[in-house]
Amino acid sequence: MFDFLEPLFFALFALGIIGAGACVVVLRRITAQALLMALTFASMAGMFLLLGAETIALFQVLIYVGAITILILFGVMFTKQDDRPYGLFFQEQTPWAAALTLVIALPVAFLALSFKDPTTASAKGGDLIPLAASLFRDYTFPFEVASVLLLAALVGAIVLVKRDEQ
Amino acid sequence: MTVPLGAFIAVSAALFFIGAAGVLVRRNAVVILMCVELMLNASNLALVAFSRRAGELGAGNPLDQRGSVFVVFVFVVAAAEVAVGLAIILAAYRNRPTVNVDEIHDLKG
Repeated sequence: MFDFLEPLFFALFALGIIGAGACVVVLRRITAQALLMALTFASMAGMFLLLGAETIALFQVLIYVGAITILILFGVMFTKQDDRPYGLFFQEQTPWAAALTLVIALPVAFLALSFKDPTTASAKGGDLIPLAASLFRDYTFPFEVASVLLLAALVGAIVLVKRDEQ
Repeated sequence: MTVPLGAFIAVSAALFFIGAAGVLVRRNAVVILMCVELMLNASNLALVAFSRRAGELGAGNPLDQRGSVFVVFVFVVAAAEVAVGLAIILAAYRNRPTVNVDEIHDLKG
């Protein structure tokens, strides 16, 4: 009865991802761009929900919509943003670029739409327990390496922005 | 009816191309960082789609989570990348108050 809901929500999220993503590239108001990037990330979380990966969707909201957007907004606030013309937009080689892009994009689109769904039903819902088992049992060492990477990034960011004090 | 796998992959490819175009075209370092995040997120969508829809083809296990585990590591790397990237932008901004990457060319010989 509610079979139409899944394609409907897919269309909604796809519109959010592609529309907001294109606006991030094209717009020239930096704060609006950052917030539209957050909208892209939120729509992506909806895509993950449609795919049945609830835990990944939760991480997406926490890390991307929350942390990374706030970090980018701080970066916007700490630097002076001035309006400048587009770097390479709308020059005379645009038709050639469009033709070349079409040549590359058509095979990619064909390839993307040629994937066939498996005949067996995919696992529905509840991916927290299998994900946790896989992450903490089979991939414990990469998990620990990831924590070291985060520590290195934390220390590196502080060292980079620390002012020299005589 | 369910949405086919190819539709998710098509959205992922479209977002990746949008992000790549932004990295190449824009001159604001912060906007370039945003576009890199968009590209990383597009790859995440492809990974999750293959993991959830086609995962049982590989290992024969319907609970195969390798794609999702990889996405978790991509999250970690993306968080580290944006933190260090913004730190580099701020450090460069302190030397020369601009975020326009065309004007930051001190290493040019």
